[in-house]
Amino acid sequence: MVNRSKIKELMNESACSHSKDKKPGAGCDMPKPGLAAGGCAFDGAQISLFPYADAVHLVHGPQTCLGASWETRETLSSYEGKDHTVMGFTTGITTNDVIFGGDKRLDNSIDYIVQHYAPEGIFVYSTCVTAMVGDDIDMTCKLASKKHNIPVVPVHAPGFVGGKNLGSRLAGEAVLEHLIGTKEPEVITPYDINLIGDYNVTGDMWQYLPIFEKIGIRVLSSLSGDGRVGNIRTAHRAKLNVIVCAKSLVTLCRKMNEKYEIPWISVSFYGKRDTTFAIREIVKALGDEKLIQKAEDIIAQEEAKLERELLPYRKLFAGKKAVLNTGGNKAWSIASGLQDLGIEVVATSIRKSTEDDIEKAREYLGEEGILMKAPASEQAKIIDDKKADILLAGGRSLYTAIKKKISFIDVNQEKKVSYGGYSGLINLADDLKYAFANPVFANVSKKAPWEVL
Amino acid sequence: MEAEKSIKINKKEHKPLQVNPIKHSQPMGAALAFMGVKNCLPLMHGSQGCASYTKVFYTRHFNEPIAMYNTSVSDITAVLDGGDYSILMAIENITKKNKSMKPELIGLHTTGLTETKGDDVRNVGSHIEIPYCYVNTPDYEGGMESGWALTAKSLINQHTKQTTEVKANKLLILPHVSMQPAEVEKIKELCEGFGFETYALPDLSTSLDGYLSEGQGKLGTGAISIEDIVNLADSSIVVTIGSSMQIASKELLKKNPNIKELHFDHLMGQENNDNFVASLMEIRQIEPRPLLKRWRGRLQDAMLDTHFLIGSSHFVITGEPDMCIGISELLASVGGTIDAVIATTYSPVLEKISAEKVLVGDLEDAEVYFNNTDLVISNYHAERLLHMQERNTGLILRGFPNYEELGNQLKNDQLYEGSTYFLFEVANALRHVKHAK
Repeated sequence: MVNRSKIKELMNESACSHSKDKKPGAGCDMPKPGLAAGGCAFDGAQISLFPYADAVHLVHGPQTCLGASWETRETLSSYEGKDHTVMGFTTGITTNDVIFGGDKRLDNSIDYIVQHYAPEGIFVYSTCVTAMVGDDIDMTCKLASKKHNIPVVPVHAPGFVGGKNLGSRLAGEAVLEHLIGTKEPEVITPYDINLIGDYNVTGDMWQYLPIFEKIGIRVLSSLSGDGRVGNIRTAHRAKLNVIVCAKSLVTLCRKMNEKYEIPWISVSFYGKRDTTFAIREIVKALGDEKLIQKAEDIIAQEEAKLERELLPYRKLFAGKKAVLNTGGNKAWSIASGLQDLGIEVVATSIRKSTEDDIEKAREYLGEEGILMKAPASEQAKIIDDKKADILLAGGRSLYTAIKKKISFIDVNQEKKVSYGGYSGLINLADDLKYAFANPVFANVSKKAPWEVL
Repeated sequence: MEAEKSIKINKKEHKPLQVNPIKHSQPMGAALAFMGVKNCLPLMHGSQGCASYTKVFYTRHFNEPIAMYNTSVSDITAVLDGGDYSILMAIENITKKNKSMKPELIGLHTTGLTETKGDDVRNVGSHIEIPYCYVNTPDYEGGMESGWALTAKSLINQHTKQTTEVKANKLLILPHVSMQPAEVEKIKELCEGFGFETYALPDLSTSLDGYLSEGQGKLGTGAISIEDIVNLADSSIVVTIGSSMQIASKELLKKNPNIKELHFDHLMGQENNDNFVASLMEIRQIEPRPLLKRWRGRLQDAMLDTHFLIGSSHFVITGEPDMCIGISELLASVGGTIDAVIATTYSPVLEKISAEKVLVGDLEDAEVYFNNTDLVISNYHAERLLHMQERNTGLILRGFPNYEELGNQLKNDQLYEGSTYFLFEVANALRHVKHAK
C-alpha cells in the first residue's frame, strides 16, 4: 500500500538541491488546485518503468489512467520478444470493484497475462481509486509472484500523492525493493554501468551507446530505456550509476550507494559539449587510465566527424539569434545544443526550473542572456529588442512567432527524431534549417482582404 | 434474419482486464463537451493526472491548444475535503492568475476518485459567482460517449429555462461525441438551408475546428453560449443524432413538452439522410436547396461506383457505438460485409447492427478478426497491430484518438456529402490493399 513516511522521505531528498532544505514534507512539488497541466505521480511512475519491454505493465484502476496514456511515448526498444511497451493493459475497474474491492479482478488479470503473454515480469500500478478503496495489491502481487515464478512488482504511486517527479521516485523505490539484487549477472566487467533515467525516447540512447561500445563501457542495466527486467535485477553489480537528465531518480542512486556502494554521477547527452563532458565524467569515475585514454581518442574522432558534418550548417546559422521558451532541463539543454550549432540564445525560460536548472541556464547563456520568469508576457518584447530570428516554444506561443514574422519550432511537440548525442545534433540542425527556410510564418501573418483598409 | 437475431452481445465482460483498450473514460467525454460551450472553463475534479492525460489526448488529436483545468485532489484532500476546498481553490487560482480570463461557465466534471469519495459537487455551486454546471462522470462507469451525453443533459437540466412557447424556426441539434467539428457544421448548415435558426449542443464546430486566432487555449472559444443554452427550450425541433444523445433530448422535452423530437441513430448513407431531409421538408413545407439535391445524386453515383469493391469486401469496425452503427449501415447499404463490430461500451443501439459479430471489447478482441478481413476501421492504436501482421489488411482511421493524421477536425462523414467522400475513401483504401495482394 501507499507508504506516507516513504513519500515524506522522498519529498525531502538529501541529494536533491531543491528539496533538501525545505521543511519536512514540503520539499517536492505538491499539486495545486487549478493547474492547467502537469502529470500525476502515476504518470511519473509509468514513464519511469514503462520502457521495460519484456515486462507487462498492468494498470489497476479505472479507464482514464491507461486509456488515454498508452502508446503515446516514442520510447524505442530493441527487444526481440513481444514488445509490451506499445501495448496497454488495465483492469479497467467498474462500480462493482469499487464497492466490493478489486483484488479478485487483479488476481485474475495477472493469471490472464501470464497465460497469454508469458512476460519476464509484471508491474502492477495502483491508482487513486484502487488505493483509496484499499485493494491489497501487495498481497495479490506477492502471491501471484510465487504462483507464476516471475517478479510481480507493486508500484504504489497513485496520482493523488503528488506530481510526476514524485511518482518517478516511487517507481525507483519499487525497483529497488523488488528487483535490484535479486539475480546475479552472467559476467561482470570493471566497466559496467547502470543508466538511470534515460527512457530512450525517439532512440536518444542509441545516439551515444555506440560510442560507449567503442570505448569499452558496458551498460549492465538500464532504468529503463530499452531495458529488460532481467538486467535491472543484476544492477547491484555495476561499478557506476549514471543518471541521465533526471533529478527524480537521485534517491534511488543514493540508496544504491548506501546499500551496494555504487557511486553515481549525473550527466546529459544534449549537444556536443554535454556529450563530451558526460563521456569524460563516466570514464573518470570508472578510474581506468587506459579507458580514459581510449575515450579521449574516440571523443576526438567523433568531434572531428561532427564538425565536418556541421560545416554547411554553420554558414546557414551564422548570426542567428534564438529565444527559447520551454520548461525544466530543456531550458538549458536545448540552449546548449543551439550554441553548439553557432546560434546565439538570447533568452530562455526559467518559469518551471529548479535552482540547478537556473544555475545551468545562467552558465550557458552568460551574463548577457535573459532568463525569463514570465515568458508568455516577456518573449514578444525580447524578440523585438534582440531582433531574434527564431522562437522555440510550445504550441501556445505559435501566434507570437506569426505576429513577429519569425521562424518557429514547437519544442513540446512529440518529436520523431532524437536530438541526443553527437549525431542527434545533426537532426536538430536539420530541423532548424527547415524552420529558417520556411516562409509559412511570414505568409500566414498577411492580412485578409477584408482587413486591408 | 433469424441468424442475426440470435447474436448475443456481451453486456457482461468476458475477461478480467482490457488489453489494448479502445474505451475512453466518461470524464474525458465530459471535458470535450464543455469545450463546446463558449468561454467555458472545463474543470476536471480529480487528481491532476486525469486532466493532464485528457489535455494531451485532445491536443494531439485536434493538434490545437486545449483549454482545461483540474482540481488536483491530493491524498489529503481526498480524505479531509468534501470537494468544496479543491473546487473553490481551483477556481480562485485560475481566475486570479489570469486576470484577463473571464469564464462564463465553470464546467465541473467528476472522476472515479472524487465519485468514490462521494463529493457533493452540486452544493459547491452555491459558493461560486460564475455560472456553474456539474456532471457526475466516474470513469469506472460508462465511457466517452456517455460522459459527453451526460454533460449535454446536465447543461439543459441545470441551465435551460422552462417554457411552453416555441419559436417555429428554431432548431437544436444534439450530436454524439464521435462527430468531428466539421460534421456538426455541415448539419447546422443544412438546417439553416431550411430556414432554421440552428444551434448545436455541445458545439465544437466553432471551437475545435482548427481556426487560427489570437489568445488560444485558455478558455473554449466560439461554440454555443451559456445564454443560448438558457433559452434552448423555445426551439420547435430538437434533432438527436446518435442514440446516446436521447437522454439529453428527453431532458429538453421536460423543459418544454411542445418541442418536436427527430431522432436519427446516425446521418450516414442515403436512407437516414432521406428521412432527415423529408422531415425538415414536411415541417418547413419547402424544397431543399439545389446543391443538397445534387449531393444526393452524387452519393448515389458514389454508391454505384464503389459497390463492386465494397460489395466484395469484409470489414471490422471498432469505436463508440453511435459511430459504429453509422459506418456499418453505410457500408452494408452498398453490400459490404461487416465481420465484426467491437464497441467501447454497451449501448442498446448495438443490438440493431447487422454484423457477423458484435461485441464490447478491446483491440485484443478485435485483432482476432484482423487477419481475415479486408479493411479495418479503427483508431490510431490499430495501426501498429496491423503493421505487425503479415497479411495486407487496410486501415481507415476513425474515432478517438487519431494521432497519426492531421486535419481530423475537418473530416466529414455525415449527410449525403460526407457519406460520398467516405465511400470513396473506403474504396480507394480497398483498391490499395487488394491491388497489393
